[in-house]
Amino acid sequence: MGNRLTTGRAGWLRLLTLGFAAAVSLTAGIAFLDLIGGNRPVFLDWLRTILLVLTGFWLVWGGTIGLLGALSPKPKRQPDLTRPEGKTAILVPIYNEDPVETFARIAAMNRQIVAKGLGEHFHFAILSDSTSLEVAAEEVSEFERLIVEPEAPGRIFYRRRERNIGRKAGNIEDFIAHSGAAYDYAIILDADSLMEADTMLAMVRRMDGDPKLGLLQTVPVVIAARTLFGRMMAYSSAYFSRYFARGAALLQGEDGPYLGHNAIVRVRAFASCCGLPVLSGKPPYGGHILSHDYVEAALLARGGWKVEVDPGLGGSFEQGPENLIEYAKRDRRWCQGNLQHRRLIAAPGLKFWSRFTFVQGIMAYLASPLWLLLLAASLLSSLIPDSGGDRWGATPWIIGVGVLTTLLLPKFAIALRGATDGTNAAFGGWRIIPSVLSEIVISTIMAPVLLGFQSRAVFQILFGMDGGWPATERDARAVPLRTAFSASWWIVLTALAALVFMAYAGPAFLPWLLPVAGPALLAPFVIWATARGGDRPVSTWLFSTANERAPSPIIVEAEAILASWRASEPVLTTSLAEVAVHA
Amino acid sequence: MKHQPFQPIDGLPNAPLAMPKQTLERGSALGGFFKAFFLVWQRN
Repeated sequence: MGNRLTTGRAGWLRLLTLGFAAAVSLTAGIAFLDLIGGNRPVFLDWLRTILLVLTGFWLVWGGTIGLLGALSPKPKRQPDLTRPEGKTAILVPIYNEDPVETFARIAAMNRQIVAKGLGEHFHFAILSDSTSLEVAAEEVSEFERLIVEPEAPGRIFYRRRERNIGRKAGNIEDFIAHSGAAYDYAIILDADSLMEADTMLAMVRRMDGDPKLGLLQTVPVVIAARTLFGRMMAYSSAYFSRYFARGAALLQGEDGPYLGHNAIVRVRAFASCCGLPVLSGKPPYGGHILSHDYVEAALLARGGWKVEVDPGLGGSFEQGPENLIEYAKRDRRWCQGNLQHRRLIAAPGLKFWSRFTFVQGIMAYLASPLWLLLLAASLLSSLIPDSGGDRWGATPWIIGVGVLTTLLLPKFAIALRGATDGTNAAFGGWRIIPSVLSEIVISTIMAPVLLGFQSRAVFQILFGMDGGWPATERDARAVPLRTAFSASWWIVLTALAALVFMAYAGPAFLPWLLPVAGPALLAPFVIWATARGGDRPVSTWLFSTANERAPSPIIVEAEAILASWRASEPVLTTSLAEVAVHA
Repeated sequence: MKHQPFQPIDGLPNAPLAMPKQTLERGSALGGFFKAFFLVWQRN
């Protein structure tokens, strides 16, 4: 009954939200068409209007989710921290990352688990897919430090695949194929993940208590950022994302997403539903499924399992890219993975919401070239004389104010909500004002640069270019101006060409192009300036998160272990032959 | 919950669990008809 109520409520909310986003974007489209074509629109006017409605829909949709989150009640569920029934494997797939940092985090999580007397219920499996032999050798050497940690022998395992078939999804699948039956649940982490023992315990108890729950996703908060870009993203993840996730969770109901890490799965459900096929054809659309997580969530839902997100579960952390170039590199990989989902929208037996989630993921990237196309069509239209039709009086200001409201209203609503539910106090009280305003200004300046990178990624994929599987260098920080320029000179040239064109074709419209073309013209400086920070945080008061002000004990523990390991060489207590490595 | 004891292999528990491959691609009905009808000789 409860399940049916939850599903019914989510269904109504979905209908209302989709209807609202469609109504707002259509209204904007009608106003825009009146503005540019009056009652005698030409082909280019129709094209621009369709592009505005399409891109506007997803903008309003995103904003509505934020508003829903800001208005939704705070989760009241108290975590159940009694002894677990099930046995859990904590899986840490790694791929050429720094093993000292990853293993220090594992040591910190293990110490918390052992200190709570839960060692027998939680094992760790480090699943290496590292292709660099240097990194692999370092992993084996650093594992020697882990194996002398409390209760580690027989509970902390390391193995490396020599051939990383199926990439990360294949890595997990390999573990389940060899050892899955020994565990009830698997907590899947990333190399940069960190999770409190209480959070893991609460997740296991949720699985124990609900036999239909197939996957439970936490909303990880980005930590340890130092550059301006990294700190802004971390702030956004810690301050705004919790509300956006709350709004999204209301809509998702039991058909939630899986982010690929910081989640728990029921091993038997995952094994029976999530064996991913290799898609027919060649990459970028064929071959192994890249963004496997959303597909696995859809397959679990297809198998009748509940997939839920719990934004109320704290104590779940990750790291993020520290500069725009690393962000764009990760985005390129995600973009290819999401566009590949177009092959799966019509997969047999999927739930409607899973199909919608695929479309949403595709549009997250397709929106950028569509915006670019809208800009290009608008530039072109300045060459065509006005058809002189009757207008009822829509002005560019109405459209501009509408776009600004869609972008800013959810953030201001979250800031107001934060003032009443204690969030702002945890983030430093008045300090949220400069941080929220700076986030809005800096993300607006960065938006045209990201638009360029995302559009290029989409065009590359449309032309059949496979981006491969480059690892994100999460600790890569400062970007020299020269590197920034070589990564973005084509954005500068495009912006310059657009500005020169507009200056000749329609100088009156130049001010409307400047908010986009201006930052794009300065792309190398934007990349360089936002990557400032280096070894010390760029500032301690701006973008100061709750976790920075009062760090979780697991963060403190992981940093202390990392500092002590960095200061000393690993002590070899076990012969390398004893370290488990199988292909 | 009851747990079966497992012998470790290469450190990790030797406890295989099958992960059957799922069907995600829907064959095109029209394409299937054309292949079956016109390209039948290619199968040989």
